This record gives sequence, structure tokens and C-alpha cells, in this order.
Amino acid sequence: MRAVWRAARAAVRRRRLQTLVIALVTLTSTAALVVALGLLDAASAPFDKAFGKQRGAHVAAAFDPARVSDVELARTARQPGVEAVAGPFAQAAVELPRETMNFGLGTDLTVVGRGDPAGPVGRLDLWAGRWATGPGEVVLNRQSDWTADDLGKKLRVPSGPDLTVVGFAFDLAGTADAWVAPEQIAALHPTATQMLFRFTDASSQDRLRASLAAVTDGLAPGALTASQSYLTLKQQIGSSARAYTPYLMAFGILGIVVAVLIVANVVSGAVISGFRHIGILKALGFTPGQVLAVYLTMISVPAVAGCVLGAVAGNLLARPFFEFVFMGPDAGVFHDSVGIAPWVNVLALLGMPGVCLLAALAPAARAHRLPAARAISAGSAPRAGRALGIQRRLAGSRLPRSVSLGAGLPFARPGRSALTLAAVVLGVTTVTFATGLATSMTRFGEAGRDAYQVTVYVGAYKNGKEIRPTHTDPELESLLRSLPGAEEVTARADIEVRMAGSAQEMMLEGRRGDRPSLDSVLTEGRWMHRSGEIVAGSAFLRHNDLRVGDRVRLEKGDRQETLAIVGEYMHNDRRLVVTDQSTLTALAPQEKPIAYHVKLREGADAAAYARAARAADPGISPDPVGANTVTQTIVGSASVLTVMLAVVASLGVFNTAVLNTRDRRRDLGMLKSIGMTPRQVTAMTVTSMAVLGALGTVVGIPLGMLGHELVVPRMADAVDITLPAYMTDVWQASALLALAPAGVVIAVLGAYIPGRRAARLTVAQVLHNE
Amino acid sequence: MITEESRGEAVVRLDGVRKEYGETTALDGVSLEIRAGEAVAVMGPSGCGKSTFLNMIAGLDRPTGGTVVVHGENVGELSEKGLALYRRRRIGMIFQFFNLVDDLSALDNVALAAQLTGTPARQARRRALELFEELGIADRRNAYPAVLSGGERQRVAVARALMNRPALLLADEPTGALDSRAGEQVMDLLLDLNQIGQTLILVTHDAHLARRCAGRMVEFADGRVTGEHTLEPSA
Repeated sequence: MRAVWRAARAAVRRRRLQTLVIALVTLTSTAALVVALGLLDAASAPFDKAFGKQRGAHVAAAFDPARVSDVELARTARQPGVEAVAGPFAQAAVELPRETMNFGLGTDLTVVGRGDPAGPVGRLDLWAGRWATGPGEVVLNRQSDWTADDLGKKLRVPSGPDLTVVGFAFDLAGTADAWVAPEQIAALHPTATQMLFRFTDASSQDRLRASLAAVTDGLAPGALTASQSYLTLKQQIGSSARAYTPYLMAFGILGIVVAVLIVANVVSGAVISGFRHIGILKALGFTPGQVLAVYLTMISVPAVAGCVLGAVAGNLLARPFFEFVFMGPDAGVFHDSVGIAPWVNVLALLGMPGVCLLAALAPAARAHRLPAARAISAGSAPRAGRALGIQRRLAGSRLPRSVSLGAGLPFARPGRSALTLAAVVLGVTTVTFATGLATSMTRFGEAGRDAYQVTVYVGAYKNGKEIRPTHTDPELESLLRSLPGAEEVTARADIEVRMAGSAQEMMLEGRRGDRPSLDSVLTEGRWMHRSGEIVAGSAFLRHNDLRVGDRVRLEKGDRQETLAIVGEYMHNDRRLVVTDQSTLTALAPQEKPIAYHVKLREGADAAAYARAARAADPGISPDPVGANTVTQTIVGSASVLTVMLAVVASLGVFNTAVLNTRDRRRDLGMLKSIGMTPRQVTAMTVTSMAVLGALGTVVGIPLGMLGHELVVPRMADAVDITLPAYMTDVWQASALLALAPAGVVIAVLGAYIPGRRAARLTVAQVLHNE
Repeated sequence: MITEESRGEAVVRLDGVRKEYGETTALDGVSLEIRAGEAVAVMGPSGCGKSTFLNMIAGLDRPTGGTVVVHGENVGELSEKGLALYRRRRIGMIFQFFNLVDDLSALDNVALAAQLTGTPARQARRRALELFEELGIADRRNAYPAVLSGGERQRVAVARALMNRPALLLADEPTGALDSRAGEQVMDLLLDLNQIGQTLILVTHDAHLARRCAGRMVEFADGRVTGEHTLEPSA
């Protein structure tokens, strides 16, 4: 055993570059694998994971305290089918003044009296400040990607004491808008008692309904006043995360395959290039088993070191990256919760060395069977040439000889070249897929971006007080038109209406002015031309099983209007339809615009316009349009992943080029001795890999296009939108031309350094050693 | 090849050439001249610096000190590219173990030397074929190195060395890996080449080869020239 270890240690020392390459490749591949598996894990069910982590309530139920006591409710925990309960908590409905809109809250708040954020059900993510423990304190439900700037501010409660914001917690299940200490809730006049249930079977709405019915069976009739199922929430929450899922899955799978391929290539190549050494060991008296052990040890040392460092690097890289990807609006993820699942690290740390050993085992077993003399000669004796026909044709071609020699090299080692080619193909597939995705997402993000640059909201808040505009609606519109830089002004109002035959409320948005389409992208039909017409979002049409051309009857109080759907636009709000101002006024005559969208002239400064508007009327809140964060996130994360996978693919090429130049040291020495210049040597080495790069492009681009065709429509489906054709038809000739060099670039990046190294070989030394 | 006018001029001039590899001195102040058309055999025990001497002249390695001037060019001062062009234009090398490219046919191995200079493939193959005919291996032109005998491989290597009509033909133990019959054939070939004016520097352990092919013998020991003898051609 000592002999094996000493021989392996000596081999590792002697093959420093190879050892470094194996360590580097396993490091990068393991890091990529950790991120890729982490992505797959995180993207597979973001809501379920976050919900599971919070032990979210399957059902949040409200009971009438006049009909059921807290003791009776506490007893429900012991009912069959109940996994855990939290509560009873007193629950108050609090009406707040409009100024609370500044806190991101509505005017009707559900406030719950709760002693702490932990518990068996509905563990809250207290991400800023502390829990409310005394009178006059409140914790608001807010997702952690928001600011915590409002800490310490006061909420004015007309029907109770003022409350100071002492903390922000996020509750994915949305069981309350705010929490106060149990002693404080009485002052807010609670009207219900909240119970949070987790059931052993929560697989469907019917099961949940049945479980809740069983739990409340023994209670007084009418005790249960309302209930909310997590399945409804699941559909509502996390639409952004749902949009990310298909593309993260695609990247995750690509990452895993690339990492495994490269490692297999590097390790098997290292063993094959060591055949001569294997023969010498056998000649020295090592048994076949010992030879195998030497080689597996030799490979394992850098591989295990690379895997451990790679896992550490993957975890370090994943944290900011996952925060970047998953902390977007509505992603439903908590602070400190993004990270790599333990099973990912275990799998990477065991799996990657396993892949290395398997990859080493096949060629090592071959060497194990080889007689010593043949193993020795495998490293130095002339080989019967391979792919001779190709070499002959290339030798007779018009290409510069260094280029034609290089072009023939990949065919001399077809197995190694095939693995390298596969890595390049996947690298090109990734680049193509990411480019298509980025183009689609950019077009999606840019759609209608030039429609307006400033949104002017009616109303402003100063020192907690609402300030109303000094101008009337027509005056305000004229004012906004008259300010320097304004080109178009479109007013927008919205009201809640009910669709005949449906219990659910929906929003009707009325638009008036220069650009009624605003930033909405039409996917079918046309925009409204006259009163009585509406254009509906794709999500609304899908969920109500409606089509362009159908008619709907909308009700508001005692007024009713039958409207024709004349178009469909790209929007994922299931409750929203758009019409003109006159149709909206027909249903709600008193309703005034809540905002004005202003398109500025080319070159006008949005911030300057906003300042001028604010100065002209202190009762308005101008807001320049910000960046599109979802698009930025997807394009940004896709770029990071693409660069990472392209680097791994390049490392695969680097390894192959290193092995090839090592195998061909004698040839290189001879070629230099007959006058091949350093530049020609570099050109030959780079060409040998560029051929694989070009082949990789030919195969990888269609695969990437196919991936784009499969993934992008699924992303759109996940968020209930229909993408117009111009967002999915991204493969114009110019785009394909730009992608054409992708494989060659990956290959050249990987081959350049080994090529330069080969060019600097000292001929006398090489030929002497051989 | 040389002309009648240039015969006798010094084409290689080494002056105080030293070569050190770390602590080891491979050449220790070697000074020597070789004239055009000469055939010089370099002999000595293993490790005496013969091959290093040859590498200095071939531009395969650079001296640590002193100068190596070939056809007026100071080889030690050439850039890497300059050295490559120098080898291409001035030098033909023959190695003990042939150093043929396994993936190329015999003809393409030889044509390669010309193609690197930019000679079109067809023209390079034509010139290679002429050499194959001169060296008596035309029937083996399409064979690959793995199926050639040792003597045939060395003839292919000689053809490759002559491809660019070098001023100097350098041979490092050209018969060392051959059986006696094949060795004789290669000796005859080198002799013929020298007789038509090819300057030849031959590193060998084989006194018989030296006597048959060379007009002068230079003896090396411990990196120094220890003796020079004019040789009478043997029958």
C-alpha cells in the first residue's frame, strides 16, 4: 500500500499541469453542478419550499367569537386529520386613512393579536426590527425585498390607538396584514378569532374542505365565518418564480450534463495519456491491482480537492446569485432562506468524485489488462495512423499546412474529440438558448416602454397627511400637457365591477387621451374605437374562458353595461380589463382619473419633468418610470449562467488541447525542427479545437433554438400570458450570424494557452526526452 | 547545395560556444569551423555534448555563451520565428528515431517540410516524389510510418530533410536504430549526397559509419573538442 501511495504521490508531483487541470475542472464543474442542482431544487417548487419552511397554514379560518370559545377552538387541534394548529388569535378588521397607502397597505387591514412569530403553524419571517410585545406596537406583513425604512413610523388608527411600526415580517400565506401583541388587540375591537390549520392530507381543495368540515363539525352552527385555502394562494403567489422555473430548469440540466461530460473527458484522458507510466510500473513489479490503485489515487487526489473547493465555491456563488434570482417581487421567498439545500452538497461531494472514479476506471481497467511491454509502447512507439483518409485529403487541400494539420488532429483521437465536442455543443446550446431568452425577455421588457416616461398619481402625502390636487381633472390634464417636454398625456381611472354570473370582483380600467393603448401589447384583435368596447388581458380571457368577439355584462351598483371584447393584450392580471373613459363613466359617473401617464419628447429629462409637475401642484405624485426588474433579473441571471457554462466548456477544450499537445510533443518537436514557426504551432493547436468549435456550432445552435422554442412559451404559460409573435420569433439571420462564432470562440479560448505553450516547447529537449 | 565557387568556404563557425543546463555544462568553449561540402563526423562517449553541439548548429537550442554563425547568420541572436525560418531554409535534420508523423503517409511527411514554407500541396508532392525516386522508395510513398521498415523510415526522414534543399544536413545517430543492412543503405545514401556537394555533419558512435561517410572526424569529451582527424574514405 505504501508503494502505491508513493508511486501515486510521485505521479501527482510529476504531472503538475495535469493535476492542476483535473483540480481546476472538478472545481469549476462541481461549482457549476452545485449551482445547477441548487437551481433545479429551488426552481422545482418555490412556493412549496417556502411554504413548507414557514409551515404555512393549509387553511386560515376565522370564527365568530360569539358562537365559539377559545377553549373549543383549541380542542380542534386534537381532531383526526389535523397535523398542527396555531391560535386561537383575536382578529380585528381595522379601517385606516388613505395615507397608509404609503406603507404599501390598503385601507382595510386584518390585524391579528399574536404573542410571537414562531409556532407550529405559520412561522413568520421576521426580517426587520422586532416582534410587537407591548401596547402601541405593530409589525407589518411585508416581503423582505422591500425597504425597512418605515421602521419607527406611526400608523394612525381612527378607531383605536396609534401604532408604531417596530418590525416587518413576511407571511407567505397572508393570514394577516399586521400583527400586534395579544394585549393590544382588544383596543382594536376584534370581531373574529383566527385559527391556522395544517392537515395531514392537503392535496386538493376537496380534501381541505372535508378536513375543515370535520374539524368544525362539533362547533355551533355559523361559528366558522370565513376560510382561506393555501391552494388558492399558491396560484396567486409566486408568479415571477413560476416564470423563472422553466428556464432555470433548462440551465440546471445543461449545467449538470456539461459538468459530468467535462470531468469524464479530463479524467479518462489523464489515464490514457499515462499508459507508458502504467507499463513502467508493471515492469517494476507492481501488480495489476496496484497499478489500478496508483491511477485511481493519482486521479482522486486532485479530483477530491477540486470537488471540495468547488462545493465551497458553488455555495458562495449561489447565495448572492439566488438572492438575485429569487428575491424579486412576488417570488414568495424569505430573507436568509435562499441557499443550497444540504442534499445538493452531499450529492455533489459524493457524485463528482464518483464520476471521476468511474471515468478513470474504464481506461485504467484497460491498462490493467495490457501487458507491460504494450503499455510502455503505447506511449512512444509509432501508432497506426487514424482517420488517414481525412489527413490525406487535408494534406492536399489549399489550406495553409499548419491549419490543415490542425484540422486533422481531432480525428486522431475520436473518443476524446467526441467528449470535447459534446461539451462544446452544450456550451453553444447554452449560449444560443440564453441569447434567445435574453432577446425575448428584452423585447418583453421593452414592450411599450416608450409609451410614457412619467406617471403622475393624483394625491400626495406629506407628514402623514394626504394632500389633494389644487387642480381639477381637466385642469390637471392641461397643466401636464403644458409643462416643458410633454408630448402626450393619457389619463387612467379604475373601478371595481362585477361580471354578471361571477361572484368575483374585477377591475375595469378606463383610459382617456392621446394613447389609450399605453404600454399594453396587443396580441389579438384591436384597441377600442368607441364606447362599449373592452380589451382584456390574456390571463382574464383564459380564466373566464372568453375569446375576442365575446360579450360580457359588467355591473357596478345598480348600473349595468354589456361590452364587446374587441382585443386581447399581454397581461397576467386575471381581474383586469381595459376600456375607454366614457364606458367607465357610464358605470361610475363620479369616478375621476387616479393617474396620468406622460410621454415626453425625445431627449426630455423625466426627473426634471417630475420636479416641474410637483412644483406646479403639490397634490400630485409624479413618478418617473423605473427599470423592469423581472426582465433585468432573467437577463442578468441567464448571462451569469451562460458565462459559467461557457467557461466550463472552454476548460474542457483546454484540457483536450493540453492532452493533445502532450501526446504530440514528439511531433511538435519534429515539426519545429523542420521549420514550423511558433505562430504556425499555435495556429495548428487552435485550429484542432476550432474544428470542434465549428462542429459544436452546427449542432449546438439548433439545439439552443429548440430549447428556446420549448421553454419560452412555457414561461409565458406559467404567468398566464400570450406572447406576441415578435417576442418569440427571435432567430433572424443577424442573430444567427452573431451566434455563429460561439463554438469557435469557446474552443479558441480553451485552446489558445496550450497552443502558446506548445509553440514555446524547446525542440532539443523534447526530441532528446523522446 | 554548394557551387564550385563556394566549395571550401566556412559555412559553420563556432566560437567559444558554451551550453549549460543548470549545474551541468554540456558544451565548454567549443570552437570549430566546417567548410562547404565537407562531411564531418562528431564522435565521443554518451553525454559528451555531441547532440548539444548539433542542436546549436540546427538552431534547436541556444548557446549560453559564445557564437554560432551559419552562412553569416548568428544563430544565437535569432528570434523564435527567425530560428524557425533558419531551420526551414538552411537545415535538414535526420534523427535516430526518424520522428515521422504517424498520421501522415510517407509522401505527405516529406511534402510537409515544403508546405510549411507555403509551397502548394501539388508542387510539394511532386518534389517529394522526385526525392522518393532518387532514394529508391517511390513504391512506398503511400504507406504510413507504422508499416515501413526502419531503413525505409530513415530514407523517408532523409527525403524530408532534403526537401527544402538545405545548406547543411545534420544527422544525429542516423543508423542507431537500424539493423546492419538498413544501416549500410543509409550510409550509402549519405555518402552519395556528400559526393554531390551536400555539407554533412554526422553525430555517431559508429566508427565505421564515420569512416565511410566523413572526411573529417571531431572528437568530443566532457563538452570539449579533444581531437580532430582527417579520414581517408574506406572502401
